[in-house]
Amino acid sequence: MTGASLDAWLLLLIPSAPLAVACALMLWPTRRALTLLAPWAALPALACALGLAPPLEIDLPWLLLGTQLGLDHTARIFLFFTAFLWLAAGVFATGYLQEGDGRARFFVFFLFAMAGNLGLIIAGDMLSFYASFAMMSFASYGLILHNRTAEAGRAGRIYIVMVVAGEVLLFAALILAAAAADSLLFADVPPALAEAPTRDVVLALAVAGFGIKLGVLGLHVWLPLAHPVAPTPASAVLSGAMIKAGLLGWLRLLPLGEGPALEGWGLLLMAVGLLAVFYAAFVGIAQRNPKTVLAYSSVSQMGLVTTAIGLGLAVPTRWPEISAIVLFLALHHALAKGALFLGVGMAASRFAAGRYRWLVAAGLVLPALALAGAPFTSGGLVKALLKPEAMALPAPWGAPLAALVSWTLVGTVLLMARFLYLAWPSGASAGAPSARASSGYSLAVPWATLIAALLLSAFTSGLAGAEAVWTWSAVLSGVATLALAAACTALAGWLLAKVDWHRIPLPASGDLVVPVERGLASLLRTSARALHDLRYRLSGGEAAAKSYLTTLRRLLAPAVSIEGGWAPACTMFLALLLLLAAISAT
Amino acid sequence: MTWNESLPLLVLASSLVPGLIIFCLAEESKGLRTALNLVGVVLKLLLVAVMVWGVEQGQSYEVRFPLLPGIDFVLRADALSMFFALLSAVLWLATTIYAIGYLEDSPKRNRFFGFFSLCVTATLGVALAGNLVTFLLFYELLTLATYPLVVHRGTQVSLRAGRVYLAYTLTGGALLLAGIAWLHALAGNLEFTAQGFLSGLVQDHSAALVAIFVLLIAGLGAKAALVPLHGWLPQAMVAPAPVSALLHAVAVVKAGAFGIVRVVHDVYGFEVVAQLGVAGPLAAIAAVTIVYGSLRALFQTDIKRRLAFSTVSQVSYIVLGTAIAGPVATVGGVAHLVHQGLMKITLFFCAGNLAETLGIHRVEDLRGVGRRMPWTMAAFTLGALGMIGVPPMAGFFSKWFLASGGLDVGQPWVIAVLIASSLLNAAYFLPVIWTAWFRAPPETWPAERAPARGETSLMLLLPTVLVAASALGVGLLASMPFSPLQWVGLIVDVEYAP
Repeated sequence: MTGASLDAWLLLLIPSAPLAVACALMLWPTRRALTLLAPWAALPALACALGLAPPLEIDLPWLLLGTQLGLDHTARIFLFFTAFLWLAAGVFATGYLQEGDGRARFFVFFLFAMAGNLGLIIAGDMLSFYASFAMMSFASYGLILHNRTAEAGRAGRIYIVMVVAGEVLLFAALILAAAAADSLLFADVPPALAEAPTRDVVLALAVAGFGIKLGVLGLHVWLPLAHPVAPTPASAVLSGAMIKAGLLGWLRLLPLGEGPALEGWGLLLMAVGLLAVFYAAFVGIAQRNPKTVLAYSSVSQMGLVTTAIGLGLAVPTRWPEISAIVLFLALHHALAKGALFLGVGMAASRFAAGRYRWLVAAGLVLPALALAGAPFTSGGLVKALLKPEAMALPAPWGAPLAALVSWTLVGTVLLMARFLYLAWPSGASAGAPSARASSGYSLAVPWATLIAALLLSAFTSGLAGAEAVWTWSAVLSGVATLALAAACTALAGWLLAKVDWHRIPLPASGDLVVPVERGLASLLRTSARALHDLRYRLSGGEAAAKSYLTTLRRLLAPAVSIEGGWAPACTMFLALLLLLAAISAT
Repeated sequence: MTWNESLPLLVLASSLVPGLIIFCLAEESKGLRTALNLVGVVLKLLLVAVMVWGVEQGQSYEVRFPLLPGIDFVLRADALSMFFALLSAVLWLATTIYAIGYLEDSPKRNRFFGFFSLCVTATLGVALAGNLVTFLLFYELLTLATYPLVVHRGTQVSLRAGRVYLAYTLTGGALLLAGIAWLHALAGNLEFTAQGFLSGLVQDHSAALVAIFVLLIAGLGAKAALVPLHGWLPQAMVAPAPVSALLHAVAVVKAGAFGIVRVVHDVYGFEVVAQLGVAGPLAAIAAVTIVYGSLRALFQTDIKRRLAFSTVSQVSYIVLGTAIAGPVATVGGVAHLVHQGLMKITLFFCAGNLAETLGIHRVEDLRGVGRRMPWTMAAFTLGALGMIGVPPMAGFFSKWFLASGGLDVGQPWVIAVLIASSLLNAAYFLPVIWTAWFRAPPETWPAERAPARGETSLMLLLPTVLVAASALGVGLLASMPFSPLQWVGLIVDVEYAP
């Protein structure tokens, strides 16, 4: 064992705490204390993120093919928001799920997914990352199917297909990357990859493989189906925390800030990302379930992340600045999306009916504003800082990209308006199952903490130039743009209210997957028929084999009748021996 | 006779003697039979463990006496033989316990356990054989000892399956014999030698060597269930669950695969195989088998048949790793001997538990069984995820090394084959897992014979859980000394030594 510091040993607690609680819960599913303990399994991770100073490293040469766990700056930020969100969502779940709802089962899957998600953040080598990624992906299948509805079944089916597709894409990507770098360590891979002849293949596989988790346009189809059908606290971690595992994979594997500028890849990712921002907004506003709207908002926000990564590939010299913004964007989105999803649960709880109704409403509006990029919020900060970086692109791309980045606000405002309209606490839904909870604090406290952290993050980001962003003119223009966008939205909403929505063919949730599903179904029917035909033809071959067997049996018939064929076998064996003897004697 | 000479014989005797005694026992003497079985398997495991430790320390174990003029009977321990021997000894222990629980109160247990012990003797003989003739002897003995186990139930179906089994394996044995005889005439020597002993003959006899290679591989391929010689395996699944488990995990198909490893590495040597141009076709057959087996598995509704076709596919990983010349791929292939063994025995134990406890034989009857038999289904889930190749299960490491090895020698198509296999494995295993865990259970099970407490008898459950845990453990601890992967590293270092 290497001389790792004591601090580094603490990293082992991060995945093992949730694993231990999960195993205990499987053995004693009826212990209430264990379900109450479950969320706090994320606490060691949160403590490590806050208390340990990177860089830390520990080698476990006996685990897998030699595991390295470590905490660097990137891991620390990811660990912070991931552990925080898991903890908040977990506490929320203890109040949200009742005894009869299969709570123990939920928490077992929840904890395994948590262990995977936290483990992949501190993974320093590809195999432990891949193993954690797989554990997270397969365990969250149980979260998505938790409600056992037909809808959940369909979402789960599409989800698991995409998971398996992602797994094999990543398998190929990691094998090729490991061969290129001759190492399993993330520290060695990106520099080696930048020069490797297989670079473009690995890039394509990794962009797609992690892109499935991240919901890159075209690969996002599972996400708006799966995120909303899970119980609300699970939706929060799926859409807030686990989605970022794809981003972390990119950060670890892609040659960002290394080697030559990859302008082709950069432009491709930026194009796909920006398209996703607007496309997801367009499809999202047509949804009727607030959680589906939030899922589309995640696709849209991850489009922005994709754009930033593309920018980093195209302009490697600016990567240090861009990576800081990407990390903050990830943190901001995790907190905001977590708060919004839990807000949906709050809006259906008893708080939404009573005198706290306006507090609940405010708690929905604040993260929505942050996501839309209002002045003095984390979202506003991200967009303000990203714009100048866009200008670093070579002409003629810089200015249009900067402009497009500001226009993404329109999409987000539309989505958030639609969301608030759907989720607004009317008090009518106060009879929902979650409303009967006596443990109101376990719902309200984690939710309020998330919102507070989100609001605070705008002022404690530590990003270069963050203090200088909110000049008078920037605030004024921010407020003005937001007001304009809100006014447009209101106008559009008023106009659309006059229209019979049901007569417009709205894009269904899961958009692109719908025609694919139909196509697949017909393909399956056709291939089943073809297979049937094929078997019919192949049976000719089978008949030949059968006739061979029949002949053999007839030849051996006198002996076969004795004892099912064993005696002739022995005879043949003896004959073989004699034959062998004869040959060797010559 | 010294200790080092007698140890290989003792290993064989530790199951042969109890087996022969069991034949002579009265059917009712259950206690004595059980004691004999357990003493035998535990003793064997200890002896094999001593030998493994000794081989690691550089000891040599060899016993030799003349069998026929010019041909010796040789038992020898090298790294590869101990690898297979340890696998057999460990899985036999698990299966014996399982079989004692499984066959409780069924007739003809003496015959069963007698042949069962002969079967393990033959397998250990295959593992320890030091030349091709000794190998052939035990290989044929294995065929004969397994037949009564396959037809144990005595039903029409099982008798037919037994006949098909014999037809394939005896034909295979005859081809193998022909190949060995020809090789004997050509080379004179048949001793297994690291890196082969035929390099001197390539110049003059390349055509004959190719023909012999084809004969040998066809003979061994019949047991290893290479397409198109796989037909017997899905039929043989009518055997009792412990027999299927052994057949698929260690005894029969593995003897074939192990033989192919021996022929490629210790008879021909991978360089000769490459020079003769037979490596490519062998790899192609393995690839076709991998994909074809999985495709057929997809359409099976009977759990054991699905598992059988899955074996057809998975065993060819070993052949594929052997056919791709290169140390890394060989590590993947040979390690899969153990990896596939652990995972597949888990799956068959689970299938046996389901059939014995609830009378479940078909995939569709598995609805909601996860709640009724959580431990069994947890073990099944681990095994199935391993087959798909999800880390940190053992199967992932086989795939990783096979794919890296393919890349190393410039054959990236291997990755495509492995991905296709993973996708197909997912397609036929994930629906099973989903059905068992996430669908609502029926009112009543097909034929419930539940014990008073616990989900099923402890004798069935304990081995199942232990082998599942091992399939996880050898993956998690893949870098520990004595892990299958590390041990295979030792073997391969010898084979590829400059």
